[in-house]
Amino acid sequence: MKRFVVLVLLVFAFGCAKRTATTVPQGMETQPQQKVSEGAKSAGQPGGEHVSEQIAKETRTPTPMEEAKSIFSDIHFDFDRYNIKDDAKPVLEKIAGWLSKNRNVKVLIEGNCDERGTIEYNLALGEKRAKAAKDYLVSLGISPARIATISYGKEKPLCTEHNEECWAKNRRDHFVIQ
Amino acid sequence: MKALRHSAFLIFSINVFLLLLSFIPILFCSPETAEAKIYIDITAPAFKRFPIAIEDLSGPHQGQEIASIIRDDLDFTGFFQNLDTNAFIEGPDAPFDPKNWIGFGVEAVLKGKVTINSEIVVETTLYDPVENKTILKGNYRARPEFLRAVAHSISNDIYKAITGEDGIFRSKIACVIVGKGTKDIYIMDWDGGNLRRVTAGSLDLSPRWSPDGKHIAYSSLSGESWRIYLLNIDTLKMRQLFSSHGMCLAGDFSPDGRQIAFASSKNGSPGIFIMDTSGSDVRRLTSHRGIDVSPTFSPDGSKIAFVSDRGGSPQIYIMDADGKDIRRLTFKGGYNTSPVWSPRGDKIAYVARIGSSFQIFLINPDGSGLTQLTTSGSNEDPSFSPDGRYITFSSYRDGSRGIYIMRANGDGQKMITRRGITAVSPRWSPMIR
Repeated sequence: MKRFVVLVLLVFAFGCAKRTATTVPQGMETQPQQKVSEGAKSAGQPGGEHVSEQIAKETRTPTPMEEAKSIFSDIHFDFDRYNIKDDAKPVLEKIAGWLSKNRNVKVLIEGNCDERGTIEYNLALGEKRAKAAKDYLVSLGISPARIATISYGKEKPLCTEHNEECWAKNRRDHFVIQ
Repeated sequence: MKALRHSAFLIFSINVFLLLLSFIPILFCSPETAEAKIYIDITAPAFKRFPIAIEDLSGPHQGQEIASIIRDDLDFTGFFQNLDTNAFIEGPDAPFDPKNWIGFGVEAVLKGKVTINSEIVVETTLYDPVENKTILKGNYRARPEFLRAVAHSISNDIYKAITGEDGIFRSKIACVIVGKGTKDIYIMDWDGGNLRRVTAGSLDLSPRWSPDGKHIAYSSLSGESWRIYLLNIDTLKMRQLFSSHGMCLAGDFSPDGRQIAFASSKNGSPGIFIMDTSGSDVRRLTSHRGIDVSPTFSPDGSKIAFVSDRGGSPQIYIMDADGKDIRRLTFKGGYNTSPVWSPRGDKIAYVARIGSSFQIFLINPDGSGLTQLTTSGSNEDPSFSPDGRYITFSSYRDGSRGIYIMRANGDGQKMITRRGITAVSPRWSPMIR
């Protein structure tokens, strides 16, 4: 009987399940700008407390995290391949340069695939893509202990249309600073 | 039709009780005689469908529902031909009279009655109108919510009485259903009935049945690692067996149920590992610079088939269960994945990329007998029924991805999940009686 209640609850839970949306609250969008002014202040920019954000932006040095935003861009792969393409190498070199300057930071590399191909093989393929980037960074002198990998296979596509443009976007490594 | 009618005439009396002690109702069968007359030999290379009439059971409307489920069960096998109910002369309440059936060429007639109080009680009789005799009597009891299980039990008893083989009508199919940003494991009857969710992770993949049908191993994304869990499908309790960064995926139970082969990127590239079902004694079976994934045991436990890109593209390979003597099985095409061994060991089903679609193929373990089973839409994730006569798979057709079943020669392809549900990765359970 007890199990029956569980079954009924499960069916009920399925019927009514509401998934929490993962949208970013609107307030979040203003966050980076606040960080910019804080960064400017802490870096000892002229103008003291009364300096406007605009002036701070123009004259300060970007913080390492701001710098990282432009450096840690996705790298892309050919269909069913996990070799690092030539156009991805400069990206990885910049990432390695940044990581060697910021030694207390770890990075997670997320390997992804397009929707074509079987679920399990793609999970392995995504891992090979993440590992390929990791190996490249290690070859440039970054400690393997600072780099973790995870494969999402074809489970977390960036783009959900069914065309080559979209597939190309999804065959990627994404870097997350930790 | 084989001329088997001269054989000794037998009556079975089967009393069946569906208990509620378990999520899957348990059956107790006590046939009074063990010797069976075989009406059709389904192992013969060519046979005619066995003409049968399934009357609506008398009593409340559930009698029609049960009869309808039995007709669908028998029809899908390809071994039975249901007489159109519109042609029936004899009503459900009328006593059996062979003269009402012989003219239609019917060789077996099922009649019965249903009563429902706190329990559903079904009494059935399977008649032979040609010899005017009783083939089988059945008596079934269960809580009313197990109506479909009762119907499938009746189908199993009819199937056994006519063919001499065990039916698969009480077996289950596990699958993954895609929600908004989630994937969960579900279990359903082999015909798609009684769909129910058994996991509530965020991303649960690749359900695999234990040989006793009581557990499912599956893979789940948890934060920044993949984990393999063992789920008890009666209690819904789960236990973590393995965890790693990168990826890990449940592969297959060994036929004795003691070990699980799986893929993991622990110590490097995705490779094939084996562990016992408590998650200990983890050993690596394959090791190379590329991808090894999706291991499946041969039914005798001596071999493992798996996918590897060691030759430059994903292909099916076979090795001994200790990782030795690796040889390539598939050579045609540049993308062959998802191997699964048939229960009799004589075939391996897998998925091949053909142009821009994926199709299901069969091949013999020696590399001969390559046969394409599907051509419509794009098809993946084959898994054999426990008797090896049927295959479940996922298919993208007509704008929707769902779970299908077909006979092992590709005939009778039929969607069993509802349209609007996106379902993948079906796995057929072992025999459940």
